[in-house]
Amino acid sequence: MSAPQIPNLLGLRGGPRSRGSRGRGRGRGGGSELVTPSQQRKDLDIQSTDTDAAVSRLSAVSLGYLDDPFASYFVTGPGTRRLPIINRGTYTRTTALDILINAFLAPHDASHPESQSPPQPKQIISLGAGTDTRYFRLRAQNRHQNLIYHEFDFPSVSTGKLRLVSSNETLANQDPAANLFVQPNKASAETPESEWGFTRTAADGRSEVLYCCHPLDLRRLPYTPSLKSLGDIHGLRDDVPTLIISECCLCYLDVDNAQDVIKWFVDRIPSLGIILYEPIGVDDPFGQMMVANLAARNITMPTVKVYKRLGDQKQRISDLGFKKTSADGGQEAEAVDRIWENWITPQEKERVDDLEGLDEVEEWQMLARHYAVVWGWKGSSGWENWKTFQQK
Amino acid sequence: MSDLDRAIAQLRACRPIPEAQVRELCHKARELLIEEGNVVTVKAPVTICGDIHGQFHDLMELFRVGGDVPDTNYLFMGDFVDRGFYSLESFLLLLCLKVRYPDRMTLIRGNHESRQITTVYGFYDECLRKYGSANVWRYCCEVFDYLALGAIVLGASTALEPSKQNVPASAASTQDDVDSDIEIEVLSHDGSIIQKFPRGKARGLIGQNNSAAKRSSSPAAKTGPPGTGASGWSRGSTGSSSGAVLCVHGGLSPLIDGVDKIRLLDRKQEVPHEGAMCDLLWSDPDEIDGWGLSPRGAGFLFGADIVKVFNHANDLSMIARAHQLVMEGFKEMFDNSIVTVWSAPNYCYRCGNVAAILELGEDGMGESAHARSNGDVNRSDGGIMKENERVLLAGPARRYRVFQAAPQDSRGMPAKKPVADYFL
Repeated sequence: MSAPQIPNLLGLRGGPRSRGSRGRGRGRGGGSELVTPSQQRKDLDIQSTDTDAAVSRLSAVSLGYLDDPFASYFVTGPGTRRLPIINRGTYTRTTALDILINAFLAPHDASHPESQSPPQPKQIISLGAGTDTRYFRLRAQNRHQNLIYHEFDFPSVSTGKLRLVSSNETLANQDPAANLFVQPNKASAETPESEWGFTRTAADGRSEVLYCCHPLDLRRLPYTPSLKSLGDIHGLRDDVPTLIISECCLCYLDVDNAQDVIKWFVDRIPSLGIILYEPIGVDDPFGQMMVANLAARNITMPTVKVYKRLGDQKQRISDLGFKKTSADGGQEAEAVDRIWENWITPQEKERVDDLEGLDEVEEWQMLARHYAVVWGWKGSSGWENWKTFQQK
Repeated sequence: MSDLDRAIAQLRACRPIPEAQVRELCHKARELLIEEGNVVTVKAPVTICGDIHGQFHDLMELFRVGGDVPDTNYLFMGDFVDRGFYSLESFLLLLCLKVRYPDRMTLIRGNHESRQITTVYGFYDECLRKYGSANVWRYCCEVFDYLALGAIVLGASTALEPSKQNVPASAASTQDDVDSDIEIEVLSHDGSIIQKFPRGKARGLIGQNNSAAKRSSSPAAKTGPPGTGASGWSRGSTGSSSGAVLCVHGGLSPLIDGVDKIRLLDRKQEVPHEGAMCDLLWSDPDEIDGWGLSPRGAGFLFGADIVKVFNHANDLSMIARAHQLVMEGFKEMFDNSIVTVWSAPNYCYRCGNVAAILELGEDGMGESAHARSNGDVNRSDGGIMKENERVLLAGPARRYRVFQAAPQDSRGMPAKKPVADYFL
């Protein structure tokens, strides 16, 4: 392990100083000596949003909205029952991402069964994953065999997750072929926290990464000299279709910072897709109240002030390269109220409605209109199912 | 000071009263409510309020804007509890005021005044948290079963009287504009006029100007002025009495074609999952023809034709109901034949909406026609005015007061910061 007490000042050079984000909660991994208490508190407040999400997920699971046997492991105590509109929102958000991710992972041509040609490996990079259980859910469905799954989050979050996973029989040993590894963080010398995950021994005897959690302050990824190439991050590949997921993560970053983070991946991975889930519509009274309420919790979302509508979000990822050019590419966006209406089957809607009953129809529509799923892709292969998705 | 007045004082400070006192209060309230019919007859003047949902500090703001009890008569159209953090204090205060001033407070039942709904939406948990047992929740639920299902407001004037409360001497006030031709007046929380809509002769004009009026924004309602349409009623003459106003939490039922049918229901029970009683508390007006299925899973949607036929058959000039969040605080629909009144500003501490209350003035014909009939055994036939045999009944003059959420630390109230849930 590197010495945690010596701050790496180089890491702070070349940061986005000219972009006006100076002093805004950056550089957490750079040694606590350089971080003001208020920045630290802000980071903790942002991290607390993950606890919120985990509690909401457990609430939706306990009431039967979602099936997630792992949700309870990541909530301490009995959990809190959320109101029906929050449960429905958690359900819709999770289901929307499941649908897009499943389409990404599925072989693109059903007429050619997988057995005839080796399935194409794919890669998922989950930003600010926190206590997300998606990898474990995919693994439980045996859909992790041709998948490399990465998670990035604050070192303290990543370490907390390691503690939980390594001490939990189901999480640690569910896949008998997988071996838990914990190793010094190669990606960021100034981060003392270990990176960890699961490997397995491939047919040729080499060890291959199945899952890897990277303890890293994502804000610093684009500006850290030791993170120049993809190879600087353990297990990350540039030769397979790769999907970046940001579920309420990049919205907490400064606009330019968030853009640079996405760009870091765009510049290094040819076949790349992205899914963003974040609030929109902060101009109306509901949106203004959301901004004010979250500010009272010390949570600010700089990007929502810039990308206010679905069109802004599409333009945003189009500008980052997820657009139709000579190669294949494209981008789509949909608000959560429409996703509930159009993506969920009538039978499933009826099942979900019957769980609690939902009295607050107007409030649901208003709340759900203020969240969007945005997705885009670029590259010639791996995105076939997405191209036809909206037509389906 | 009586025990009741002490309880009122304590609840006004947003402090719960002891369990034994709740029990006694609920007992008294039940004795009072059991004497009320399913449809209470209320004499104007009265101020009609929509959903409160446990937003205690905003209820205090409502009383500040609308005038205190007993100076102002109030009719609350249900949904006192759930969602907000002070359902207990809000409901118990309203109940105390009902017991203390039975003829000046009317409480009717909302769909949240139900055992089943309160276990999902917060009131049950709140009682458990504040008392350590479900006893108080049980006492309150027993009161819920006795709440009336609706009210009929009689003797509302077709002309607006000068506003009594909160008129700043300097600001433009209604006292400068006693105008008998005004059918609808919208005031901000401090009593200044946001909008006025004349009756009758200016009808075509209003229709033309309506869109322009809607665009002009007001200081109180940041989202733009409320959706008042032009008046469809031109029969009103100055100072005369209007047709009756039916107040109900949700709306109409396909099983109910007359107010008298409501009077025949056996209301003293938990809100059923279906049937007339359920519909009255759950239904919503919608831009459809006839009846439709409700997205809420209970009650129905009903269109303009349903409302107009019902109003005509029952000599009503208007239906006032609550139940649906309206960002502007109130919304008149179907040629002013029905209005939604919403009285929970910044609903759930999250929605950013304003709230409204509806004031109906008295017609100046005194007590001659119909005395208030709370506890009056002949109440059930003391209802609707039929002597005039009017085909179209004049709509009452409506004064809406629009207000915003109480400031966080208002008037020394406990300033617990409410936390609204978001997807994070």
